Amino acid sequence: RCRCRCPALLSRPAGALRAGRGLATGPEMHFGFQTVTEDERREKIYQVFESVAKKYDVMNDSMTLGIHRVWKDIFMHKMNPCPGTLLLDVAGGTGDIAFRFINYIRSIRERQLQRKLKHHQNLSWQEIFESYQKDKFNSLGDSQVVVCDINREMLKVGKQKAQHLGYSEGLSWVLGNAEELPFDDDKFDVYTIAFGIRNVTRIDLALQEAHRVLKPGGRFLCLEFSHVSNPLLSRLYDLYSFQVIPVLGEVIAGDWKSYQYLVESIRRFPPQEELKAMIEDAGFFKVDYENLNFGIVAIHSGFKL
Amino acid sequence: KMAAAGGLRRAGWRLWRGRAVVRCQHYPPLRALQASATLRRASDEHKKEPLASSSQQHFDSPPAGHQPEQEPQGPRPSYTGQGGQESEDYESEEQLQHRILTAALEFVPEHGWTAEAIAEGAKTLGLSVAAAGMFHSDGSELILHFVSECNAKLSELLEKEQKLVQLGEAEKKPIDEFLRDAVEARLRMLIPYIEKWPQALSVLLLPRNIPSSLNLLTSMIDDIWHYAGDQSTDFNWYTRRAVLTGIYNTTELVMMQDSSPGFEDTWRFLGNRVADAMTMSNTASQVQSTGEAVVQGLMGAAVTVSNAETSRAVR
Repeated sequence: RCRCRCPALLSRPAGALRAGRGLATGPEMHFGFQTVTEDERREKIYQVFESVAKKYDVMNDSMTLGIHRVWKDIFMHKMNPCPGTLLLDVAGGTGDIAFRFINYIRSIRERQLQRKLKHHQNLSWQEIFESYQKDKFNSLGDSQVVVCDINREMLKVGKQKAQHLGYSEGLSWVLGNAEELPFDDDKFDVYTIAFGIRNVTRIDLALQEAHRVLKPGGRFLCLEFSHVSNPLLSRLYDLYSFQVIPVLGEVIAGDWKSYQYLVESIRRFPPQEELKAMIEDAGFFKVDYENLNFGIVAIHSGFKL
Repeated sequence: KMAAAGGLRRAGWRLWRGRAVVRCQHYPPLRALQASATLRRASDEHKKEPLASSSQQHFDSPPAGHQPEQEPQGPRPSYTGQGGQESEDYESEEQLQHRILTAALEFVPEHGWTAEAIAEGAKTLGLSVAAAGMFHSDGSELILHFVSECNAKLSELLEKEQKLVQLGEAEKKPIDEFLRDAVEARLRMLIPYIEKWPQALSVLLLPRNIPSSLNLLTSMIDDIWHYAGDQSTDFNWYTRRAVLTGIYNTTELVMMQDSSPGFEDTWRFLGNRVADAMTMSNTASQVQSTGEAVVQGLMGAAVTVSNAETSRAVR
């Protein structure tokens, strides 16, 4: 089983780690199937993402057979943002959600423009040209997305991707901790965290911070791996997770341990109803979740009312 | 016999509406919505209360402005997780949703019955545009909300008229005039939104919305008949409903593509349909009495024949 395959520690320079239980200080937490202290956990997770940052997207595609793109598209459709929305994407590292947001807003904006032009059927060519110019500078309609991540490497990869794909306006990159966001109260319309909340050490703090930085009426959206209740599917899923994914990790990214951590952390994460209760505890209303692929992934949504 | 049946029906009606009122008053005490409450108390320098854990509930007095609903509305959409548990804040969340939808109505002529209109409505209340995510993206809730608001307004109107008649300050209208005026008043409420109303009609016909929209329609029709009182038509209850529903729906469709000034073509159409319905009822009663006469004739003939037989047999 996984325990005997899981190597003891990531090799690190001095000052960082102690072996699992006896010498630990602070409250005990889980790091995959290991037990570590809170601080150790933060460190370990930082290291995991530091080492996988460059291959993050490639690994996502190979592990989920590309389905993660569909999940993120569905996520964006559920958000259904309108132009003028201010989005905070936490743990958004390589920018998948942010880029989708920008694309979505652009297409909505285009549709709005078309509708406006349809109403102005008897304008002169000059006036139509001018309205095009005016709106071209406003192709996002004042929408903005702030990508916040605790890991410098992930942000670096994200910025490079943005440059490569040609996303420039409406995008900002901020280094920050989800448990202690560097933003003022009541600032954002939507707060998203896609495949990130699992790696947060104190989920309750992250949820409270989310509640703080959202405007009244703002929406909290969380996309995360979750609990599969169907027994047959659950067995197949376990088989795939523990036998295939770490191997892929070694072959593609040269990093078995990080991907072992990944699948273990999915098993340790609270199931749908429990996460829903935690979100409600943080003060959100109308909390609801939607299972994708029978519970392999779930989207939780709540409103600050 | 007809009068007694009518009286029973009216009593049943009152009981049903009374129950709707009682149902609302038994809702559990509410956890006040913090953010929206803070917005409403704009002048108050109240600090935000500490976040309550789910095991503790604020037993605040019901928020100001909470009124038991007078009109039974369509089945409320339930916002529950897949676990099936309803949150305790059902009533105050719903109030906020009602406020957002009411605010959204003024943006409908521009944006149509869409999530954009709801987002604009939320903005005017000081909420984020993301609050529109609470509703379906096709605007179903907005339309259903509008329809139930219109029905409530119609009920109020008919109630007031009835009071005037009871106080003797107005004449009781003949049945056809009453129906015509009620349907006209209800359809006139659509006039500000008439351009986007075809879109709304198609959304109301979505399978998901049919139970609610049908419910709203039938309760409105029942309302009108209730206030029309038990006047001399020989229709039974189902026929009445069907007839008036037919009149209402066809007039609504005519109104969609009516371009005459002040919709006068529509009102003329309405008058004709109501008159047809009245004639039909007369014809029906004539048919019935003719039928009865025929039957009696046959019975009489049969009796006569059998009497003749027996008398012949006797002789």
